Amino acid sequence: MQINETITTLDKVYHGMYISVLVFLALMLFGCLIRAVKGPRIADRLVAVNMMGTMVMVIIAVLSLLLKQGYLIDICLIYAMISFLAVNVISKVYLGVFVEKQQEPKEETLEDGEKGGKIHGNS
Amino acid sequence: MEILEWIRLILGGTLLLSGLIIFFVELYGIFHFHYVLNRMHAAATGDTLGISCSLIGLMIFCGLNFTTFKMMLVVAFLWFASPVSSHLLSNLEVTTNENLKKYCQVYENLSDLEKELKEEKNKEKAEEGKV
Repeated sequence: MQINETITTLDKVYHGMYISVLVFLALMLFGCLIRAVKGPRIADRLVAVNMMGTMVMVIIAVLSLLLKQGYLIDICLIYAMISFLAVNVISKVYLGVFVEKQQEPKEETLEDGEKGGKIHGNS
Repeated sequence: MEILEWIRLILGGTLLLSGLIIFFVELYGIFHFHYVLNRMHAAATGDTLGISCSLIGLMIFCGLNFTTFKMMLVVAFLWFASPVSSHLLSNLEVTTNENLKKYCQVYENLSDLEKELKEEKNKEKAEEGKV
């Protein structure tokens, strides 16, 4: 068995490029995090989280080529699905909470105003 | 053979770098705009163009593999998933924001918007007729 451990310049270039791409993406991830903390509204934070998911997917794909492990791309695919699911579920939950909050006071005033009368009054 | 490898490096590196530049533009847009519905426009750039550019670059590095196919699957999934999540987020924002009129023009009835669009079209037609 012959052990071939010659590191060519091509390998060095690839390694340096992967590392620099990873560092740059990590720095941009911090920028997204700042927006997620600062964002005045809920939708702002969700958009920032969605962006962070996309960047993390690229990081995982680069890492799989750096470590030469093909199965890491599977994790990338699953990460995409989970991030999509998380954004959908959180937005639906917030929408449901908002609609419930909006409906509660109206029903109370209706019950106080007209006891046992019309339910669909325009007050 | 070594020249071919270098060509592959340059081609893939250019695509990967352009993907990173698009991600940077996305980040700049997120801080540049002042309202969520504008920010969403910038954020959708990276979800589709940024990740497809950078993953095509990585595909060129990887060669013809099963891994390449899986990367293609990730890009295709994001093309379908990103508009859906954007739509849900904008729906959440428009429903929950009580003073939306401060940020953008709101039409209470859809017929008003259609009327205005028709008037604009008629104006354009009249101007064309004059010229």
